[in-house]
Amino acid sequence: MYDFLIFTVTIAGIYAIMALGLNVLAGYSGLLNFGHIAFAGIGAYATGIAHARGWPVLVGIPLGMIAAMILGVAMARMGRRLAADYWGIATLAVAEILRTVALNEDALTGGANGIAGIPGLFESMPGQWGQFYFTVLVLALVVLIAILSVRLGDGRFGRALRLMREQPALAACMGYDLLKLKTHALMCGGAITALAGSLYAHYFNFAGTEFMLAAETFVLWTMVMIGGIGRTGGVILGVVLVQAVYAFVPFLRDMLGFGSDVAGALRLGLIGTLLLLCLMWRREGLLPEKLRNPA
Amino acid sequence: MTRAILEVRNLAKAFGAFQVLEDVAFQVQKGEIVGLLGPNGSGKSTLLNIISGFIAPDKGTVMLDGRDVTSVPTFRIVNEGLARTFQLPIMPQKMSVLEVAMAADTTMHGVLPTLFRGAGFCKAERDTRERAMQLLDELLLTRVMHLPASAISGGQKKLLGIVCALMARPRLLMLDEPTAGVHPNLRQDIVRALHRLNDQGMTLVIVEHDMHFIREACNRCIVLDQGHIVASCKPEELASNERVVQAYLGASVEEARAQIMQKEVA
Repeated sequence: MYDFLIFTVTIAGIYAIMALGLNVLAGYSGLLNFGHIAFAGIGAYATGIAHARGWPVLVGIPLGMIAAMILGVAMARMGRRLAADYWGIATLAVAEILRTVALNEDALTGGANGIAGIPGLFESMPGQWGQFYFTVLVLALVVLIAILSVRLGDGRFGRALRLMREQPALAACMGYDLLKLKTHALMCGGAITALAGSLYAHYFNFAGTEFMLAAETFVLWTMVMIGGIGRTGGVILGVVLVQAVYAFVPFLRDMLGFGSDVAGALRLGLIGTLLLLCLMWRREGLLPEKLRNPA
Repeated sequence: MTRAILEVRNLAKAFGAFQVLEDVAFQVQKGEIVGLLGPNGSGKSTLLNIISGFIAPDKGTVMLDGRDVTSVPTFRIVNEGLARTFQLPIMPQKMSVLEVAMAADTTMHGVLPTLFRGAGFCKAERDTRERAMQLLDELLLTRVMHLPASAISGGQKKLLGIVCALMARPRLLMLDEPTAGVHPNLRQDIVRALHRLNDQGMTLVIVEHDMHFIREACNRCIVLDQGHIVASCKPEELASNERVVQAYLGASVEEARAQIMQKEVA
């Protein structure tokens, strides 16, 4: 039970970091990034590659963040000629291309086998302490990134992003370089998410294309939408709720005694229902974005 | 002679087969208040959009204070000293009036200053707030400054648009129908505010339909019709200008006359 709890909390924490990254893009800036998981994949692979090359394993984290920022710049440039909705579809395509490349490329990403044997972060700790410390680290990072993301959203950068999201023409007239804003937002969101990807790789001792499935992006979107897009507290709430459903279903399975395939379907069904209910009754999520008003 | 702050030379723009502007050329001198008139669809907004860098012209140049700004992107035009407002100002939902006004100050909006909030950032934030409050006060928006910008009336949104444009301290301000949908009492306030700005040295170009407003606010008028400039004169001369009258009475009169002529020939 203790292990399961620690596992659930750790995974929720990692997803929370990714969702906070998505919130900088989708929430603050209105960027429909449907390829968000690519950033996490880059983080995971960077950690994997650092390990495979025999570099100090922590090098993978900054490496992944930098690579994700570069991808962010590329994605922003791509958006120059595309309207918002088309840009969203293009990001999905980019993420799928990266996943396919990772799946078929052997030298760098290990092809379909991925990169195994990535060491955990506190493996030298005796017994369960390593696990525990890792969970504490993840939660501390969630808190840190939540604070940074509130700061970013509340300050002048966030103000500019919101204006771009709501009235791009007005923002351009005021003198905001929309491409630059978009680029910087993608760099921030990408770096945050890549950090989560690296943690994921350390946690599972593995980096593979399973981390880069499009379905993962939509899980993140679901979390953000249920909780409250554009509001840090809402995003965290969404992550907790969705993870709670994920964790709860196995108990239900054991209690009611149905098979694993039913459990999987039930999980998706429950999340889908939750999302649908939110869209019908609480469009802006359980904790809607607040009106920005300088005190 | 005063130097032209805005000079437009043989500007042309077509949307597909439709020639919106053709060979448009005019100058605006420093310190002028110029009214830009013309019937609906005469190309006024397109002209404004070209000058402010939203769309590129097919031909011609736009000079601002002697500098060619024809291909300068919109967000850089502000730095050249030109600000504008929109005909239909749509305002953000999740930002208060004060927040939108403050957003119009683009200094110190980078990621790092926002995260670290050094002394410079805090000072910029204080200054922006002070200036935004002052401008909101001048344009009578203090009472609604904490409301969502999308929730205020259409007239107030126009005023907020002007506040935003003024935040950039432009030398040339272009207003797209500043009084449409604004209460007549408020219109007087706008005229007064514009004259005050003009006294401080700001040049104004105002797209407007309301003749009364034009007469009160402007020292010169430029009239567009079907993509051509048909008149440039003092507001009081408008009524006696045959081409202006023709443009405003519209093609229907001409068509009617043509039809009558045809009938007579037959």
